[in-house]
Amino acid sequence: MTDLGTLDYIWLGVLAVFQGPEAFSLLGLPISVTVVMVTFGLILGIVVGATPGLGSVIAMAISLPILISVFGFNSDALLPVLGFLIGVMKGSTVGGAVPAILFNTPGTPDAYMTTLDGYPMARAGKARKALRISHFSSVSGDTFSDIVLILCAPFLAILVEAYLDLPEKTALLILSLSFIAAVVGGSAAKGLLSCGLGLLAVYIGTGEDFYPRLSLGAPALSDGIPITAAVIGILVIGAIFFELEGLWHQSRKAGRIEVTRDEGDQRLHWADIRRILPYIGRSALIGTSIGALPGIGSTLAATIGYATGKRRHDRNKAKEDPAFGQGAPEGIAATEAANSSVSGANLIPVLSLGIPGNTAAVFLILAAESIGGLNPGPAVFKFSTEQNPELVIAFGLFTTMIIANLLNWTVGGAMMRWLGVLVRIPKHYLLPVVLLLTLTSLYVQETAMSAVWFGFGFGLLGYFMKRFGISPLPFVIGFVLGGRLEATARQAFSATGGDPFFLLKSPIAAIFILAAVAVVYFSFRKPKAANP
Amino acid sequence: MKKTLKLAAAALAGVCISTAAFAQDWTPPGPIKMMIAFAAGGGADTQARLIAEELEARHGWKIIPEQVTGKGGLNAVNALKGEATDGTAIAMIVTETLGYNMASAKAGQPTDVTPISTTAGTQMAVVSLASKGWKTLGDVIEAAKGGEQIRFGVMTGQLGDLAYIIGKENGVDFNIISVRGGKAVMNGLNAGDMDIGFGAGVQAKAVASGDMVELASARSDALINSPDAPLLTDYGVSYVNETAFMFAGPPNMDAGARDAIAAAIADVVNAEGGKANAFITRAFGGPVVLHGAELESAVQNDFDASGALIQAASE
Repeated sequence: MTDLGTLDYIWLGVLAVFQGPEAFSLLGLPISVTVVMVTFGLILGIVVGATPGLGSVIAMAISLPILISVFGFNSDALLPVLGFLIGVMKGSTVGGAVPAILFNTPGTPDAYMTTLDGYPMARAGKARKALRISHFSSVSGDTFSDIVLILCAPFLAILVEAYLDLPEKTALLILSLSFIAAVVGGSAAKGLLSCGLGLLAVYIGTGEDFYPRLSLGAPALSDGIPITAAVIGILVIGAIFFELEGLWHQSRKAGRIEVTRDEGDQRLHWADIRRILPYIGRSALIGTSIGALPGIGSTLAATIGYATGKRRHDRNKAKEDPAFGQGAPEGIAATEAANSSVSGANLIPVLSLGIPGNTAAVFLILAAESIGGLNPGPAVFKFSTEQNPELVIAFGLFTTMIIANLLNWTVGGAMMRWLGVLVRIPKHYLLPVVLLLTLTSLYVQETAMSAVWFGFGFGLLGYFMKRFGISPLPFVIGFVLGGRLEATARQAFSATGGDPFFLLKSPIAAIFILAAVAVVYFSFRKPKAANP
Repeated sequence: MKKTLKLAAAALAGVCISTAAFAQDWTPPGPIKMMIAFAAGGGADTQARLIAEELEARHGWKIIPEQVTGKGGLNAVNALKGEATDGTAIAMIVTETLGYNMASAKAGQPTDVTPISTTAGTQMAVVSLASKGWKTLGDVIEAAKGGEQIRFGVMTGQLGDLAYIIGKENGVDFNIISVRGGKAVMNGLNAGDMDIGFGAGVQAKAVASGDMVELASARSDALINSPDAPLLTDYGVSYVNETAFMFAGPPNMDAGARDAIAAAIADVVNAEGGKANAFITRAFGGPVVLHGAELESAVQNDFDASGALIQAASE
């Protein structure tokens, strides 16, 4: 074969997906295993995403060994297995919004901001409309991000790594944390408090030393607090406690518990889409940019997307429109577009450098390495005239992403609407079931009762934070990024030969640090009225 | 430890046949809890889970894998202490856990566990991207002497000490960056955050494709993929790293159970065409099986020898 151009590679990739081993034939048309696996993955993803406490990571961790033992280690196995994992990844970001909107408890941490407007809409009888908006925004964001991935993967990640050395990465993490603390926490002081608590919690029992720090000699603390227990505890269990208290007040006052019914028009009209499109666009850009940076993640993207959307909405909204936090469709759109657009862009550092941007991407790399045939790294994107089989696989992977997106637009939407019937179940039956499901999934992941107790403990903390108007989100982002912050800072310090001022020596790092200080300073100076 | 490992590999076939009978006679009194001292999803974790899967298939045992990570495997060692000694609790660690890590943390003696069997060795090498242009560790040392700051990625305390001593013996200062897991070193090299780093075998594919170069063997013998790479002794360093993956049981584990599990594990990792064997061969250069008294003395020697490295690195 001579002179293989880009188009030839794209075509070979598409063929690799559709002409792979056949699963069954439909009306004489062979349906390839890869397509079937993407579909299964997507459906599983939506279901685990919609189950509070479960997420794409646990689903991938459980399914990967099973898939490898079913498909084996040959090169035919690669696209079906990766396709399944991509389906799970994409499905779960869509599904996470379902319980957020219906029951005020996020299915995945990155859907927390969706509760702020989704649940008020559901209470106003617009649950199905909220689901439609969330689905539309989520899939739009995801599609946008995939397009960026497909067009830019070969050079974007290399560009990012060329400019961000270890000190700059440390400074960027500090900037992210201070931004979240200052902007999201209602007030900067409460945000900093929440973020600081998150950092304190994640530093228990971790670190480089053989001695478990901050553990006070307690064996339960010496392994550190399991991340799922802390995050699910504070976001999901805290929210359940808060909801239960609300129901209790309601039944004492009114003698019965209200059941929300869908009222009026539930359809998504062109006018609605025009209203939310600017928010989707901005959030998709934010999510994609954050996804391209390794290791920051979708919760941060959702938060920044929401915060930026809120600022625009406050300026532009008509008087009678609901504000962010009171059931604005724009709020759902801003959050869901941002968190979903992380997943495609996250694959940019994965494919071009072999560096995972989040835990889900770790499993994609692991699958590729266990099976063989794709070695994520700079070699993948060599457009050689002699056929480069890895590049064919890469384009095959892009094809599975497009298939997953098409399925998400169609099957995903239908599944979400179908899950919408759950809203008719009275909450005083449903919340205990959700609580039980959450605790069970915590136990399944950690296989230790301590995880359940941690979950309860952080649930109480989350409840009191909600009661005192402190957003739990800076806590979660502090907890999630804390370990990375410490490791990167430590590495940057060693890499610069033990320079104590490593954060200020390079211009990019210095700008990030200055911005971090400025964000906190200015949000303290803002008059109280501007901070609802 | 090298010699003993080689001996074991050579005597392997015979051992398998003679011990295969044990595995058939012994049945665990309940499900076996398999603690894995490595992060979920890494190469070591995959290895442990594939072994578990094949043990279940071959012997009908029920095995429950569980992550007990942290502190270089010492958390798993501590967790073993309270477990039943009848073969229903085992843990996958590395020999370094019972050697350097235990010695430097002053966390007990190798006899605090019962060594069962090793599964695979490592192909520990000093690695860099091919694009750096270096051919051997000597080129790196020259560059450092010429004033270039060299960042050296390591994934364990023992390798950190080794990196320090390589620098010390050659009159240069490396900026040693310690990260979690061998994959993180590879990521650091690819991202340009590090210049050189240790790889235990995870570098194999990149070396084969020409993206990475093995600059020196950190073992006492030549590397499989780069037989011409120099040894550390060529640079005046008298220490090596020959960590192997191993299973261990609680202290005073029942001898019958231990031998049966050891024999079953040996069968699985040596079974050509099996998934565990295929994985070990690809990632870690092939199975290395050592058990019984040989393994005990190898582990004890590792522990005793690590004091010298700790001492040398603190000077």
